[in-house]
Amino acid sequence: MQTNMKQNLWGYIFIGPFIIGFLAFTIIPIIASFYFSFTSYDLFNAPRWIGLDNFKEMFTSDPRYLHSLKITFIYVFVGVPLRLIFALVVAMLLNTASRAVGLYRTLYYLPSLIGGSVAVAIMWRNIFGDDGIVNIALLSMGIDPVRWFGNPTAALWMLIFLSVWQFGSSMLIFLAGLKSIPQSYYEAASVDGASFFQKFFNITIPMLSPVILFNAIMQTIAAFMTFVPAFIISKGTGGPLDGTLLYSLYLFKQGFEFFHMGYASAMAWVMLIIIAILTSLIFLSSKYWVHYESEGGK
Amino acid sequence: MKKSLLVLLGLMMILWLAACGGDEGSEEAGGDTETDTTEETTDENTDSDSEADSGGGDVTLRIAWWGSQPRHDYTLEVIEMYEEANPGVTIEPEYASWDDYWQKLAPQAAANELPDILAMDLSYLSQYADNGQLADLNPFLGNQIDVENISEDVVNGGTVGDGIYGFNLGVNAVGFHYNPELLAEAGIDEIPENWTWEDYQEMSQKAVDAGVFFDTGFQADVFFNYYLRQNGKRLYAEDGSGLGYKDDQLFVDFFSMVQEQVETEATPTPDYLAQLAGPEDDPTVKGEGIGIFQWSNQFVGLEDISEHEFEMAPMPGPNVADGLFLKPSMFFSVSENSEAKEEAAKFISYFVNDVEANKLILGDRGVPVSSVVKEALKEEVSASQAEVFEYVEWVEENSTEMGAADPAGAGEIIELLSNLSEQIAYGEITPEDAAEHFRTQAGSILGN
Repeated sequence: MQTNMKQNLWGYIFIGPFIIGFLAFTIIPIIASFYFSFTSYDLFNAPRWIGLDNFKEMFTSDPRYLHSLKITFIYVFVGVPLRLIFALVVAMLLNTASRAVGLYRTLYYLPSLIGGSVAVAIMWRNIFGDDGIVNIALLSMGIDPVRWFGNPTAALWMLIFLSVWQFGSSMLIFLAGLKSIPQSYYEAASVDGASFFQKFFNITIPMLSPVILFNAIMQTIAAFMTFVPAFIISKGTGGPLDGTLLYSLYLFKQGFEFFHMGYASAMAWVMLIIIAILTSLIFLSSKYWVHYESEGGK
Repeated sequence: MKKSLLVLLGLMMILWLAACGGDEGSEEAGGDTETDTTEETTDENTDSDSEADSGGGDVTLRIAWWGSQPRHDYTLEVIEMYEEANPGVTIEPEYASWDDYWQKLAPQAAANELPDILAMDLSYLSQYADNGQLADLNPFLGNQIDVENISEDVVNGGTVGDGIYGFNLGVNAVGFHYNPELLAEAGIDEIPENWTWEDYQEMSQKAVDAGVFFDTGFQADVFFNYYLRQNGKRLYAEDGSGLGYKDDQLFVDFFSMVQEQVETEATPTPDYLAQLAGPEDDPTVKGEGIGIFQWSNQFVGLEDISEHEFEMAPMPGPNVADGLFLKPSMFFSVSENSEAKEEAAKFISYFVNDVEANKLILGDRGVPVSSVVKEALKEEVSASQAEVFEYVEWVEENSTEMGAADPAGAGEIIELLSNLSEQIAYGEITPEDAAEHFRTQAGSILGN
């Protein structure tokens, strides 16, 4: 008993810093924002209870909100699949036995390490600038340069490219998944004369499906919360013509630029609900396409 | 062995925690004691009514402003000079770019942690003053803040309601800053002092024919307000309860003109402008555009980054004097939560009145408000700065009163208007629809 207690104590001491931080910077703000979402709160004066008005306003009288929601959906539903496909392709390339694989793995992972940073977003602005490498490349192929920051659709695509480019973490997980597929399946298939695509769709995809599920969920959640690239690339405006006004950016503007903290809190809770619904939809759909080894191949 | 390692790690953890916690704690505690002593000294000062000399205790003042690197550099130097002249006063600077500054300020205000002295802009002054975040400076005027050489109008620029919540650091006026060489190339002899919007459109056409831009468009809130003033109205109602004009035709007229400028390519298209990485890419800076409509304190910066020479012209008429006004370029305010308001006020006084300090500031924050400083600087400043002084002096004679400060919520109105003007320039919305949209949206923002 004694030693047990002691051991537990050590455990608590070690997790203490995390628990304290978690309470102070996560749990308490979450509870506070839940309360604020039902109030009109301008950061200066005490919050005033207004019930569901914030939520009503969002969906009935704030066209900018609906617009922001729309482009966020585009960003997520185009960006995430592209990113996963890209990650899988690169993972499969790296899964071939070659001496340089270690080096490539590191190189391809790098963008993800620095991906959320301000520096990358600024670099992205330069790459897609008037004299940037993308426009130079387009020009050399005889295509007119695109004003990436001047056209709302192009600007959103630029954000999507940026997110696709940061495929590293999904790629690593795919790579681990690929390595765990027994080689014997492929050998057996080869003996039966299966083509590359037959092997891919009948062995790789089913065997990898739990990993795909995991990646899809994690990436969807992360994509909904994207803030830094949109903020930097549009210089904090969400422009042009609100083309890059992602949900979190609009939330931030409402909270800290327009002093509508209550409204911003309500937006945060709506986003939570949207993410929860989407995540459970993905989970529900998983029984139709995710294959678990342990279920005896069922 | 294992156990001792565990103990060691645990100890380190505790030490680390203690260190972290201690840091914060001591800072807080330090802050408290410091402010306590300040209160005592200030009490003493008021009791004895002595000249404000803080020989007694040590004071720490936090000061915050926005700007770019040159402004940060000279402001830090001024702070150092002040600290040297006033031993016992320590000033902790906090500075950022315009956007970051306001985003940092809002949470600080919510936490009652605003810096003692903070830079304020006309468009935010009401927001902060109405919410009781700023101290009324009236009690300090003539006491801690020396206003002997500053005109009353200038001081009153920081009025919100019954109080003065920001001290005017300099004055500004809008105008057209142009490149005379390029103007001549476009076949225009000069911009007469009494030019009109019609002249403007004619000249624009000549610029287009010569293959250059005439200007780079209008910052919507600033110049639409100018246009409204020309017509005897203003953007916000005096009491801040709504818009200051009733006739949407004014909106339509102004923004149709802007739209036409974009269509004829006298003004760059919005996608062209959005693509610019920074001010050094601006067509006017690069010699591809004749001029820029902007505030007078931006003139020197324009000359600095461009290899071309520029001159200043007033805004297009008619009724220029009704349209123009002297705008307080920025304020220093004292926060209501400051525990050393009098010390803060003394610093502000130094900042606007000290000649040596202003030899560093050199009108970057607008033309100095003190007549003594202005006189002393005349010999110091560069040719381009002298031009700015001259222009602002001309505006002093040819302008009308600014009127009430922007209402709370002005920040949101400005964003709404610039979004709409962007949509108009892109051809996404007609000026007529935009006018209507602006009225309803602005009404709900200001009505709150």
